Amino acid sequence: MASPSTTRREFLLGGSSGLTAAWLGANWPVIARAAQHAHHTAATTPGKFVFLSPTQAADIEALTVQIVPDGKTPGARAANSVYFIDQAMATFFSWRGAEFRAGLAQFQSGFSDAHPQAAVFAMADAQTQAAWLHSVETTPFFGTVRQLTILGMFADPKYGGNAGGEGWKSIGFEDQHVFVPPFGYYDAHYQGFVPYPGSPAAGAKQS
Amino acid sequence: MSSKIFKPGEMVDFVVVGSGSSGGVMARELSQAGFSVLVFEQGPRLDAADFEHDELKYQYLHGITNSPLDSPQTFRKDATATALRPDHANPLVYARIVGGSSNHFTANFWRLHPVDFHEHSLLGDIPGAALADWPISYEELEPYYTKVEWEVGVSGLAGSSPFDPPRSRPYPMPPVPVKSSGVLMELGGRKLGLHPYPAPLAITSQVYRGRPACVNCGFCNGFGCEVRAKSSSLYTMIPEAEATGRCEVRSSSYVYGVGVNDKGRVTGVHYFDAKKVEQFQKARAVVICANGAETPKLLLNSKSNRFPDGLANSSGIVGKHLMFNQGGSVHALFEHELNEYKSVQVTRVIHDFYNSDPKRGFYGGGGIDSRISKGPADWALDAGGDLPLWGPALKERLEGYTRSMVCAGHTTSLAVPTNSVSIDPQLKDAWGVPAMRVTYKDHPDDLKIAAFMQDRAAEIMDAAGAQKIWRTSISELKGSVHLLGTCRMGNDPTRSVVDRYNRTHDVPNLFLCDGSSLVTSGRGQPTLTIEALSFRAAHHIGEAARRNEI
Repeated sequence: MASPSTTRREFLLGGSSGLTAAWLGANWPVIARAAQHAHHTAATTPGKFVFLSPTQAADIEALTVQIVPDGKTPGARAANSVYFIDQAMATFFSWRGAEFRAGLAQFQSGFSDAHPQAAVFAMADAQTQAAWLHSVETTPFFGTVRQLTILGMFADPKYGGNAGGEGWKSIGFEDQHVFVPPFGYYDAHYQGFVPYPGSPAAGAKQS
Repeated sequence: MSSKIFKPGEMVDFVVVGSGSSGGVMARELSQAGFSVLVFEQGPRLDAADFEHDELKYQYLHGITNSPLDSPQTFRKDATATALRPDHANPLVYARIVGGSSNHFTANFWRLHPVDFHEHSLLGDIPGAALADWPISYEELEPYYTKVEWEVGVSGLAGSSPFDPPRSRPYPMPPVPVKSSGVLMELGGRKLGLHPYPAPLAITSQVYRGRPACVNCGFCNGFGCEVRAKSSSLYTMIPEAEATGRCEVRSSSYVYGVGVNDKGRVTGVHYFDAKKVEQFQKARAVVICANGAETPKLLLNSKSNRFPDGLANSSGIVGKHLMFNQGGSVHALFEHELNEYKSVQVTRVIHDFYNSDPKRGFYGGGGIDSRISKGPADWALDAGGDLPLWGPALKERLEGYTRSMVCAGHTTSLAVPTNSVSIDPQLKDAWGVPAMRVTYKDHPDDLKIAAFMQDRAAEIMDAAGAQKIWRTSISELKGSVHLLGTCRMGNDPTRSVVDRYNRTHDVPNLFLCDGSSLVTSGRGQPTLTIEALSFRAAHHIGEAARRNEI
């Protein structure tokens, strides 16, 4: 049996045709209250940057694209990780802002010193960028950007990244609030739990 | 919500500090026994509708857990090291809301085995550790294990493991549906002659006592349950306590000291109310169920002329013998989709390696379970031992999310006298209360059993046909959510803090019951034991109160 196509919001609002009224009544007495609590998971439309300057944003986006590039599915650019990072530094991770700015300044000056012809990381070709990242990948600043890039791909879209759920889609995560078995290939082919000979549970066949 | 509101200055029979796994049970049992009970909870009162599928909020912004921003801790590996505040995180983590950590735990619900209670007698002294027998036996606790399973609601299949300890009743609910990770671990385990079995979980598999069945949303570990299927105190014990009309749960109220009189008895608790105004609540007796970190902190911060080293600390061991649980896991990638983010975290468990075996050359044992314990963001940041830092290799690994699982070992931690929760000499929290300092360094045997269990997990995944296996690094722990052993139970007042009924040796009307009472660490998953101890302690506290022996 396939999972009903139910987003969290649909589930909270009780609007899924895959769920019977009886099931809902038995399974969720507080559904009416929860419906009011439903948060949006719609894509956040990027606005202008708040924390980052345009030049800084360009470098950070280039970093995010190197960290999680496109593969079989889209990477950090499609998920708007750079907007997540901007929002993070402006709001919920603002206490890390000064350290972030200092690290970014050091990253930028280090790159321009080493590449006077390119000057700006975002404008360098991908091979040059990658070569430079190998030299700084153990720095705390790189670690921070890496963490934020990944969070920007997979955290709730309301935080500015994971645009349209692109990050979740890229790894096959379905943003639903309810699933029914089978959940995967192997449990779909499971024959049931066979108790061990002599055990008290022998005779009981369970899922 | 509480219908009973005690008046300012009103004496209550019992103050219970903490509303989590133990505090919830304690409140229900004492109030149902006819006593007036006032429960204090540091954090706010939330309900199902307040919880979200929001990894950032709960895993990185301390949405429901103690925050290092207002409740900082320091950490050092031993007394020679300088205790420092870790970056962005506290070493000891617990949920700070009504229901405590029973809200956000995985809901793995393992009983201890009979051997857990007398390992010292079996194995003798272990250098560098304070291994001790419990003052009670498994047989004494068994009725209370059963009571927990039926009162809070546990799903499972009794007798399905040859290693299942004796039980007087089956589980009240059948197991939840198996996941692909469980199928694969069962496949690999059976090939190796092991005995995987359906995981017992404090999660409903069917409608139970007015609560719905789990809807398999997958957000259990680290999250509050949005459908009330997780059998947390918030949804089970606390409402039943309040329904007596004799119990108030006072949320957003932080107990920072216990009052004592010149007779050496406790008189009540000092606390900050929701507006951070200091208050005092009178009580005939106090039961501290604040967890294995906050309980010793509260005692050590409750110094007086009569108790200059902290309350109930004549032994000098309040806060000592801190235990976590080590691990030893592997990540594995399979050909087909598992979609482990769907449904509960764990559906199969292996206990073949539970007992400590002297032939291994070190102390320790453990269990193994099948899971993917994290949401997509947390998994992406920590998906195995050699997760590429960046670039196409990282992207490729991330794209394997739906085909991945974890085979996780859960192992022993020895009680080491120098591992402790103490009071930091400088650091204070946002209320001005001296903060806790954590000192912890794994016993060498803890690391050895973790590595042993990781080897077994790798073998199981290999036998199951994994395309690739990655090992997580096994290293010394610098924190945990399992907060155990800091006010250990025992018969000898010089070597333990509470007696076999969880009454402090030093103060007749002061009781402690939570993870701090545990004498040994078990093999992870301590919550069921904590709740069983609380049912047992509440029974004896109530009986003693009726006999006027408190």
